[in-house]
Amino acid sequence: MKKRHPNKNKVLLVNITRLGDMLQATPTIAGIKQENPDCHTTVLVEKQFSDICHILPHIDEVVSLDLSFTCRSLAAEQVGIIEAYQYISEFVDKLRADNFDYCLNMSSSAYTALLLRLLKVPRTGGWTADEEGYRLIESEWARLFATSVHYQNRQYNSLNLVDMFRCSADVEQHPEKLLVNIESSAKRHAEDLIRSAGFTNTGPIIAVQAGASQAKRQWSPTLFVEMVKILDREYNARVILTGSPKEISIVQPILNGCQSNNVFSAVGKTSIPQLAALLKECQVLVTGDTGPMHISVAAGTPVVAMFLASAYGFETGPYSAGNIVLQPVIGCGPCNPNKSCSRPDCHETISPRLMADLAMARTAGEVTELSREQADPRHVMVYRTTFDRHGFCDMQPINAPEGDEFSRYRNAYRKLWLSDLGGFEVERTPQRHSKSSKLNIVDPGIEGLQEIANCAYTGQQLMRRLRELILDVRAPGAALQRINGDIASLDRSIEELGFNYGPIGSLAKMFLFAKENLSGSDPLSLASQMDSIYGDLGRRCERFSDFYQES
Amino acid sequence: MKSLTELAVTMRDDWDRRVQHDYRFWIANEISPQSLLWEEGARDFAQMVAGLPFGPDMTAVEIGCGVGRMLPAAAAKFGSVLGLDVSPRAIAKGHELQRAAAINQGTISLAVSAGTDLGVVAASSIDFVWSFAALPHMPTRVFASYLCDIRRVLRERGCARLQVFIGLQDNPAESDTLRVRAYTERSLKEAVEKAGLRLTGIAQVAMPLQELLEELYLQPVVITLEAGDGSSGSFEDVAAALLPDGPEVDSAGTSCSDFEAWLALNYADRLYQGGDFDRARSTLEYVTQYCKTTELDVRDVLERLTQVSATRQMVADIEACAGDGEIYRANVEVLKRRFPEVWEQVKIGSLPGEPPIEIKASIDGPVLWSGSTCLDHPEKPVSAGHAWARRTLNDARIAQSSQLVVVGFGCGYHLESLFESRSQPIACIETNISSLRRALEVRDLRAILEKLSFLAVSHSNSLECSLEGLKPDSEVIVRPQSLVISGELVHAVTKVFNKQRGRTSLHPRIAVLGPLQGGTLPIMHYTTSALHRLGQRVRAIDVSSFSSGCDAISKLMHDDIRRNICQQTYVEMISSILLETFTEKPIDILICMAQAPISARALTELRRKGVITVLWFVEDYLRFTYWKEFAKCYDYVFTIQKGDCIEAIRRAGATHVHYLPTGCDPEVHAPTILTPEERARWGSPVSFVGAGYHNRRQTFARFANLPFKIWGTEWPAMKPFDRLVQESGRRLAPDEYIKIFNSSDINLNLHSSSERDGVDPTGDFVNPRTFELAACGAFQLVDERALLAECFEPGREIATFSSVSDLKDKIAYYLEHPEERQDIARRGRERALREHTYEKRLDEMLTTIYASSYQKLRQREQESPWAEMIQRASFEPELKERCERANARGEEPILDGLIADITMGEGQLTDTEQKLLFLFHVRKQIIRMEHEGAGVRN
Repeated sequence: MKKRHPNKNKVLLVNITRLGDMLQATPTIAGIKQENPDCHTTVLVEKQFSDICHILPHIDEVVSLDLSFTCRSLAAEQVGIIEAYQYISEFVDKLRADNFDYCLNMSSSAYTALLLRLLKVPRTGGWTADEEGYRLIESEWARLFATSVHYQNRQYNSLNLVDMFRCSADVEQHPEKLLVNIESSAKRHAEDLIRSAGFTNTGPIIAVQAGASQAKRQWSPTLFVEMVKILDREYNARVILTGSPKEISIVQPILNGCQSNNVFSAVGKTSIPQLAALLKECQVLVTGDTGPMHISVAAGTPVVAMFLASAYGFETGPYSAGNIVLQPVIGCGPCNPNKSCSRPDCHETISPRLMADLAMARTAGEVTELSREQADPRHVMVYRTTFDRHGFCDMQPINAPEGDEFSRYRNAYRKLWLSDLGGFEVERTPQRHSKSSKLNIVDPGIEGLQEIANCAYTGQQLMRRLRELILDVRAPGAALQRINGDIASLDRSIEELGFNYGPIGSLAKMFLFAKENLSGSDPLSLASQMDSIYGDLGRRCERFSDFYQES
Repeated sequence: MKSLTELAVTMRDDWDRRVQHDYRFWIANEISPQSLLWEEGARDFAQMVAGLPFGPDMTAVEIGCGVGRMLPAAAAKFGSVLGLDVSPRAIAKGHELQRAAAINQGTISLAVSAGTDLGVVAASSIDFVWSFAALPHMPTRVFASYLCDIRRVLRERGCARLQVFIGLQDNPAESDTLRVRAYTERSLKEAVEKAGLRLTGIAQVAMPLQELLEELYLQPVVITLEAGDGSSGSFEDVAAALLPDGPEVDSAGTSCSDFEAWLALNYADRLYQGGDFDRARSTLEYVTQYCKTTELDVRDVLERLTQVSATRQMVADIEACAGDGEIYRANVEVLKRRFPEVWEQVKIGSLPGEPPIEIKASIDGPVLWSGSTCLDHPEKPVSAGHAWARRTLNDARIAQSSQLVVVGFGCGYHLESLFESRSQPIACIETNISSLRRALEVRDLRAILEKLSFLAVSHSNSLECSLEGLKPDSEVIVRPQSLVISGELVHAVTKVFNKQRGRTSLHPRIAVLGPLQGGTLPIMHYTTSALHRLGQRVRAIDVSSFSSGCDAISKLMHDDIRRNICQQTYVEMISSILLETFTEKPIDILICMAQAPISARALTELRRKGVITVLWFVEDYLRFTYWKEFAKCYDYVFTIQKGDCIEAIRRAGATHVHYLPTGCDPEVHAPTILTPEERARWGSPVSFVGAGYHNRRQTFARFANLPFKIWGTEWPAMKPFDRLVQESGRRLAPDEYIKIFNSSDINLNLHSSSERDGVDPTGDFVNPRTFELAACGAFQLVDERALLAECFEPGREIATFSSVSDLKDKIAYYLEHPEERQDIARRGRERALREHTYEKRLDEMLTTIYASSYQKLRQREQESPWAEMIQRASFEPELKERCERANARGEEPILDGLIADITMGEGQLTDTEQKLLFLFHVRKQIIRMEHEGAGVRN
């Protein structure tokens, strides 16, 4: 695997705001330790998540940022701003004193990028900022991360963000699962809870996480009730409802709707470590794309997970083998996470019966096949999580082996990025036609691909001409001005092509991110960097075309 | 609890007793000679009536007038004056004193009142009710009862001014009619509202025994009251509002308190020391008879009595050394070296009108007296100086100032105390040359003179220059004694100083509100531009887009009354919008141009919020009279006329009225080079730009035979104007008339008149066109105006005409003499740019405002969140500087305001900028997450 910064000594991982993110970073942290056994790892998290970090392995130190205080102070405005500033100032001073030699920031937020800039860490992965405060993404894997989560490109991506995060940190060796330590006290608490539940059924213990971060990603309580009833009555299962104290209002209707001794609410009764221990005691977790989903995976308990609304399984699916992911097939999904939804039709594509059957089936072992009757691939795709030979998480469909309309693009892109960014050898089939002309290098079946490839070629020509003009002291200023105009116009065309044609959006976005990361002010160096960026685009167009044709 | 009637009986008995004993001591100022009774009454009354309208057709009544010492002064301003007091003996004494002083009693009435209300006064009959040094002695319930009755007697536009004390103290027993009561500002406001009145002002007032009052933390103030919107509540409710911690309790037994005994004993002591043994004896008998006390420790009095002989010896010593003695010569040596200009003034001696300064002895050394006022503490100047310095430096504003300016030198005891406890520079301004000279004679002041950073002796002629050496971030503290003996001069000193430092240290948020339409609209823009150029935080409130609403109303309504009502409603609506605007982005000063569409309600509301309201009335006050209704809503009114105009607007209720003519904006009004085509279109040998007012039509109709172009609106579509008026008499934009000015040989400038033909012989103000034409370097012929010669020298810097025939002659003459035209125009332009720019005008306006409102604006700035932010940011100089810059830019005290110039700027970010941007993005992210509804999980 290609690596930018293979050796690390004092590492800071910035992963501030989400519990799931912390868990998803565990393979990377473990990998860094595995590849750099003497390195010291520090994790920077929001204060409320600092406790969970103590049950994550391979973390030497946890530094917490009190965002709640900062936000409260900022909300107070006036003197509050000064208080927030003073807090941040002291925080930055403290971190600077630690002299980190490598920092990985996988949070795309502008403030963490600025924080990296403030810390002045010499080597970085992921997001940072330049001296004028503009965002920089130095690692190409991190750019792919940013590219893939862009709303237009999401469905063309099949790489799990955990792997992109890992590759951004140059980690190759890694566990193929998330990691968490189960404390003995937490385990005792979980066992006590289960004992206190008073179950009369004797079947498998199935955990159900009904709450989710957004209302539109939360399956309706009525459907949950129906599913739980099936599990209780038909499968003799013992059901434990999980959730935080804030989720009592979501879980209570389910509890009321079931009215069963075999449905126990552990909502608000567990800390995060205790939840991990509780989930470990269960045979399977039924959930949406939630933090507990990642905890369960880390604890080794398989999940049956619904990726509703804006959730997208390939992106943030459970990172271990053998989990089941359900992805609704609907024109509007996966939708924009920033928009609410007044009619979440995607919820209706998954039936309580299917969820109950899948949960029970998974308690018995791996589920590798489903009939169309059980899960109609026109409405919902059901996947099984696996790992490829390079250690990248993948999802295999189990209800429609031929895949969906995006699968061919996803496969092509997967091969493209693994080979182009990672240097991995990917499976190839012989080329079907020879390319005699640079202007006809790609499959005309992918709309816009030929045009964007032509742009890349033109860009390289323009860069050659630009270099000549820069070196020619007699060159008229107007000629330089003209060529600058041509470059601006060309780049705009590339951007627009990316917008106009979904399948090539990722190629255009990667180009744009690369351009944002141009560094220095020497014209020749800038021309040379741009030439390379156009070259990357052209090469990727060609490879993408090839992989697409092969699949 | 006593009834009001019973309380009135107590008051009557007490004050009758005191008047019988010695009215001068208990009612007037016992120290002053009797001859000063009326003068001091006039001095105090001047404080009460300052800034109020008065006139021979107006009536006034005083509550608690005692012997009526203020009434003659009141009678000089009001047509009918009534003094009321509960004490029949006081009223009888008043009659006696007036007769003895041969005061014309025709307009003055003295009457015994019931003591608890204004019952003898008819409803809605009084323009001005006042009370000085009376109400604080009354039981709170009686004061409340008076408050309730004031509403009844006031005429529609009448007002009341009452002297009360603001402070926190344990009020005396209810029956105590001597010790003063104090209330909090909040209680007063609440009580006044419950009494159906409206509190429109609180002003500090000078009182006898000021120092004693200050030591008791009592702040004497005068409150101004007007009739409120609601009716008057019960006096019990009003009293309850005044005393939120519960009613005054009554004491058992006699109402004659230990305090009264203590005062009387001290008085006896002073009389004894002064050699007035008869009155001292009668006072001691008074104490014996009425103020029997077992609690009072009289040792202090006795000790002082024993010091009399020692003090007398000191007086002899002082007299021996006064004049050009050894001490004086030693002091002068230092004075000459350190403050030679002051020495020059001291050499010249006292100025005419300065009161004589007397030296007396105290236990600590010599003290100065001016008339009845001791310029130091009369008995213990050293310990009083320490106490004063301690109190003064307790004020954070003063303690933190880079330089403290003390007004009042006295014998320097207080300055010595200040030097002991303060390391920062101390300056001093003395308002009386004789006083300084006497001090130099009797005390060794060399140490003070060496230490003072600055010393000036100011008198009205040299204020500006004598204060030039003071730092702008100094703080001024005025000794109460100086306020008493030279109140006006001290105010003038303070004003000049505030004016000088205001321009450098204040950064108020200013809004300029323009009219809906008309000729004043461009002046609003010139004003705003000028304020920008002066580095002020200013924004223009251009409401001209609302003018179409007014036009629509005019089209819809044909009946004048209905149309006026609708237009007033429309202005109210605009005013409400303006209030919202100012709530969203607060301001400190609102400058309204003439005809700005803002209602009295909105102006009052803004003033209630502490905004200084200013009207620049650039109109003829005789033609446009809406100022009569609005003058009282403005803190400052600036006019383009002098004399009667200023007096009339003051009488209408405006406190500060000043002359401020319009001007020119050199960025707009400038010489312009025109193309031949433009010259052909806009140029002419003779031109006039302006609306077709009566006198202009009447005059210019006679010039049809000239090569003459008329531009502007409202010209009749008839001969000869059909040929003279250009481009269908459309309205011109400023850039168009600049072209006309620059391409015409002679620009006529005839001030408009709707009443008179030709030139208005009584015309006084100078119109904006005069300054604009001059600044363009264009030649103009302007009609003679009373105030024109102050602005331009006629014949040299401007050409004038006095009549239509004179105009005809001068047009002919100047058409023949182009060089002369050019010379006059050139000189006129030089003068306009030198003296008549809007920048100059606005600078003058601001300094005028700062002169009187410096402390208010300063306090607003200090209360502004930015002040605390700047102070708290001092741990990081760049952050502090950013806060200061954002404040100076007029940004709101929010994060966006603080980073506004970072987000707009370019280049490498500093650490501070990165941290601020970090915070900005944190907040943005959190808002986004809240919007998403993101929870803890995931």
